[in-house]
Amino acid sequence: MSLLGIILTFTLVDNIVLSRLLGICPCVSAPSDMRGTAAAAAATSLLMSLSALAGWALQTFLLEPLGLGFLRTPVFVLCVACIAGFLDLLARRAAPRLLRAARVPLAGVVFNCAALGVVLIAARGGFSALESLAVGFAAGAGFFVVLSLLTAIRERLDVESVPEWLQGLPLHLISAGLLAFAFLAFDRAFLSRLLRGW
Amino acid sequence: MTRRPVFRDGVLRDNPVAVMLVGLCPAAAVTSRVIDAAWMSVGLFFVLLLTRLCQAILHALRAPDLSEPPAPGAPPQTSVFPLRPRWLGSLLLSSCFTAAFELILLAFAPSESASLGIYVPLLAVNCLVLERFQRSGPEDEPESPVRVIARSLREAAGLGAGFAICLVAISLVRELLGSGTITLFAAGSFGGTIEVGGLSSVPVRALTYGGGGLLCLGYLAGFARLLGRRKRRSGATEAGRS
Repeated sequence: MSLLGIILTFTLVDNIVLSRLLGICPCVSAPSDMRGTAAAAAATSLLMSLSALAGWALQTFLLEPLGLGFLRTPVFVLCVACIAGFLDLLARRAAPRLLRAARVPLAGVVFNCAALGVVLIAARGGFSALESLAVGFAAGAGFFVVLSLLTAIRERLDVESVPEWLQGLPLHLISAGLLAFAFLAFDRAFLSRLLRGW
Repeated sequence: MTRRPVFRDGVLRDNPVAVMLVGLCPAAAVTSRVIDAAWMSVGLFFVLLLTRLCQAILHALRAPDLSEPPAPGAPPQTSVFPLRPRWLGSLLLSSCFTAAFELILLAFAPSESASLGIYVPLLAVNCLVLERFQRSGPEDEPESPVRVIARSLREAAGLGAGFAICLVAISLVRELLGSGTITLFAAGSFGGTIEVGGLSSVPVRALTYGGGGLLCLGYLAGFARLLGRRKRRSGATEAGRS
């Protein structure tokens, strides 16, 4: 699969949130302003890209040569945690505004299963280094798209009349479900038709 | 001292999926078949119970915890690395137990291991395991080590049972309406699949997709809130009468 194909697949067709159902919690309970959403999504996307690349390196140079495949989960978890920690450290020094806008400590993103999910998907898919980076980037872009759409939907829902028992998270989950059905339109046939013109 | 019914709280009042809304990813992703939901529940129960047991033992042994605030008068500790040792410790414990469960599943149910895919390793970062891990123990009043361990185990068992009940309930609705079948464990001449006549001829296929899982989860959370409010209201009315 070409790099463009990987990016379109993991952004639209095989979206990390709506197709794989990972990272639902941050999507339905993210900050309700667009600026905060963009900051949170950018931080998560960066973490996913770097983690996917690091996961490929660990898989290729450590786990497979030494026959330590059974330790994949602890190694990947600690890898994602360390990258999240160092990104948080860098963001505190270099871009404190981004961290404040996201309203979530970047180190806490490790508890979002989307980051680990991307590393596992890239490792199990047998991608190369560049392809793993593309998978991480595309998954992050897909996360950003869904987070932005759900934030926009939430802003509209805040001013609508909704039954009391559905207000808040239940309605956000239902909205995410309907959005997932809408994303079914982006199937592989659509993608192949789109790429035929390139 | 009144003893809180921690097991019952985990199943009902603090139900992780319907009330606390944590660990939603597996609840939406692996509930298209009852057997997948059952195995995922077993996995979470295994990881949660063992992680909490280790945490309780470490707490009972009074292992040094750098994340606790410094004593009054002591110079403040400034941590350079943002992840606290307790977080890293809990991550390491839960990921090791998850890896152990992966191997057990691969040995005894390889087809289920393939069916659950990446969702089994993701138990290591399940919000339920890590969230409760941070909350337990230290802030409570002093207890004997045995009592701390017993309370942690009861709480973990309650949360695991609450998670399992919700997962199986969601998967029953999704599989029954979405495919008209119920997939269980195969045994002897029983193939493992029960076909429900009437429903299997006109299935609501949308429920077997990811979006269907999110819809079921949203309505389950809404109904749980509705029931909780009615119960509180009836309790307040009875208290007013007495």
